[in-house]
Amino acid sequence: MDLENLKDRNIGEQKYRMLDLEPTPTTGWGKFKRVLRRSVKLELLVGLKVTIREMFKALFMGEMHTVKYPFEKLPISPRYRAIHEMKRLLESGHYRCIGCGLCEKICISDCIRMDTRYDENQRKEVSEYTINFGRCIFCGYCAEVCPELAIVHGGRYETASEQRASFSLFEDMLTPIDKLKEQKEYPGFGAVSPNADENIKPTPLAY
Amino acid sequence: METIAFYIFAILITGLFLVTVMSKNILYSMSALAAGMVLISGLFFILGADFLGAVQLVVYSGAVMALYAFGMMFFDATRNVKEKNSSGTLVFLLSGLSAVVLVAIFAAPSIGANIKPLVTGAKGLDNPHVIGEVLFTKYLIPFEVAAVMLLVAMIAGIILASKKMDKSLSEVYIDTLPEEELKEQK
Amino acid sequence: MDGYIIGTVIKAILILAVISALAGFGTYIERKVLAFVQRRLGPMHVGPFGLLQILADGIKLFTKEDFIPSGANRIVFMIAPAITAATAFIALAAVPLLPEFEIFGVTIKPIVSDLNIGLLFVIAMMGVGLYGPLLAGMAQENKWGIIGSARTAIQFLSYEVVTGLSLLAPIMMVGSLSLIDFNEYQAGGIGNWIVWTQPLAFILFLISGFAETNRTPFDLLENEAEVISGYATEYSGMRWGMFFIGEYANMITIGFLAALIFLGGFNPLGFIPGGIAIILKVSFFFFLMLWVRSAWPHIRPDQLMWLCWKVLMPLAVINILVTGIVMMV
Repeated sequence: MDLENLKDRNIGEQKYRMLDLEPTPTTGWGKFKRVLRRSVKLELLVGLKVTIREMFKALFMGEMHTVKYPFEKLPISPRYRAIHEMKRLLESGHYRCIGCGLCEKICISDCIRMDTRYDENQRKEVSEYTINFGRCIFCGYCAEVCPELAIVHGGRYETASEQRASFSLFEDMLTPIDKLKEQKEYPGFGAVSPNADENIKPTPLAY
Repeated sequence: METIAFYIFAILITGLFLVTVMSKNILYSMSALAAGMVLISGLFFILGADFLGAVQLVVYSGAVMALYAFGMMFFDATRNVKEKNSSGTLVFLLSGLSAVVLVAIFAAPSIGANIKPLVTGAKGLDNPHVIGEVLFTKYLIPFEVAAVMLLVAMIAGIILASKKMDKSLSEVYIDTLPEEELKEQK
Repeated sequence: MDGYIIGTVIKAILILAVISALAGFGTYIERKVLAFVQRRLGPMHVGPFGLLQILADGIKLFTKEDFIPSGANRIVFMIAPAITAATAFIALAAVPLLPEFEIFGVTIKPIVSDLNIGLLFVIAMMGVGLYGPLLAGMAQENKWGIIGSARTAIQFLSYEVVTGLSLLAPIMMVGSLSLIDFNEYQAGGIGNWIVWTQPLAFILFLISGFAETNRTPFDLLENEAEVISGYATEYSGMRWGMFFIGEYANMITIGFLAALIFLGGFNPLGFIPGGIAIILKVSFFFFLMLWVRSAWPHIRPDQLMWLCWKVLMPLAVINILVTGIVMMV
């Protein structure tokens, strides 16, 4: 299944069709005729044909269903809400977070904790930012409320770790500075929709 | 070589059939019976009667399997059966006497040393062929009579069992109930 | 005489070793084939292509605790798996596995005992083999076990008739019960195979062969969906493993029987030498059993009895009758 179908929730083809089943015979002669007809038409072999066809498809036409999970991964939906990521500004490389504290306020499981202070330029600087992933329910409110698209949900869903503190420090979530060029804008929760321009009506300035 | 094999088989068969008679556990006695029947076919194989040996295997494994089915229905196989035995001496005397009579009947000709095979197969024919030839020439009428008897027994069995065969047991049960009870149930 | 005894012992040990190894390999093949049919990969990670999975399973089975439940009948419980495994191998004693070949100047017949009633012996021994499940089920103090053994009894009584009657027509044509005679009867190439003259008997034999080996359309004895594991509910470890070695050995035996009786046995097939031809045929039957397992659902016990007594047995009798008339005319 490709990504388009997954996003559209359009799973399966929904081409259902009623089987034209004949009524079950009640008399002995009718039953006998049915057995005879089914044996001569070799209805049993249809099942065998289907299974061997699937086997050939799997072996020689590369239609194996199995995903060797730790080695291969399926694409996940862009709206998937996994471990959070903190984004950087592409131009300066500085983190986007402005320390407004909206995510801390809106968090319904009360798992985000941030501290800010003024730096030497009298700008707000995040001095401490942690998410308690033992408590986070991945509701996505923090990403939705963030005015700068600084905190978003990433795609890292393998969240087993040895320590409680894994993933959850600001530095862990922040895009590494050398990977800045690979930073992708998050299209999911809280992002501006691709057709945002069309949806916006011009403000009636005549007021 | 064959003598050793014969004695081993003989001891095992006797022991197994003793278990069959003596054991109070239905499972032990039936298993011993089945094993004894299988070992008897070993005796046939020693005597060179391969066909009879294989037939012994086929027939008795099926027959004892039917016995197992009855045992399964009537007894709890993991418990001992309580035997009702009013007079031990009487049972001992009767069974002992009949055993002695049987042994005497079968041992008499071999002691008298006038035991001869009734039919000797032609040279160069193997075991099944000889049996087939004898059955369909000399013993044709007894063979056919036995076949007809089995057929009669089979038909009788089917007729006895086939009453109300198309109905499920609960329906048969409802048919036997008096009318008032049926009304109450409805 | 001494040479004969030593040779027989060597053959017996070889068959025991090779067939039980093949039975282990059979579990691997079964898992692979079923996986491919369902477009999965099957065992992959232990060894190349998951081949060492057999070894891993073996280690697991051998080292697992082998317990006997307190309510069970100890002796019978312990004997039952041995019956299944032993009879499966004894049945192979009368089956010629390969054509004669020479090694170190000695001609070797790859058959342990060339009985002149080989076919009957094999069928009888495989029939006795069903005592294993029967006793196993009855030795347990467990309702599933009892149901499993009751199903064993009805299955045995149903299919055994069909097996015997379906084989009777080929036996009439060949005029012998020895499997080597069957092989020689079909020596003239594909056109001489008995399957062309006895197609009905071949199908009947295959169906009853499936019942004999408890393969899927008829695996009532240990149908997980209905009776937990039937007769094997309380078994664990190697005792459980012995049931399955017996089952796979039986599958191989049925494959050999079908190949020898109906498909020309170990006669050379065109450019393929006889030994390889029969191995190919047996592999095909083994694959067929797995294939059928992947395609068809179970049937109920009453459907099995209906099939065997009301459909297959009359067909087999008609087949014998027609064969007899054709042979007389």
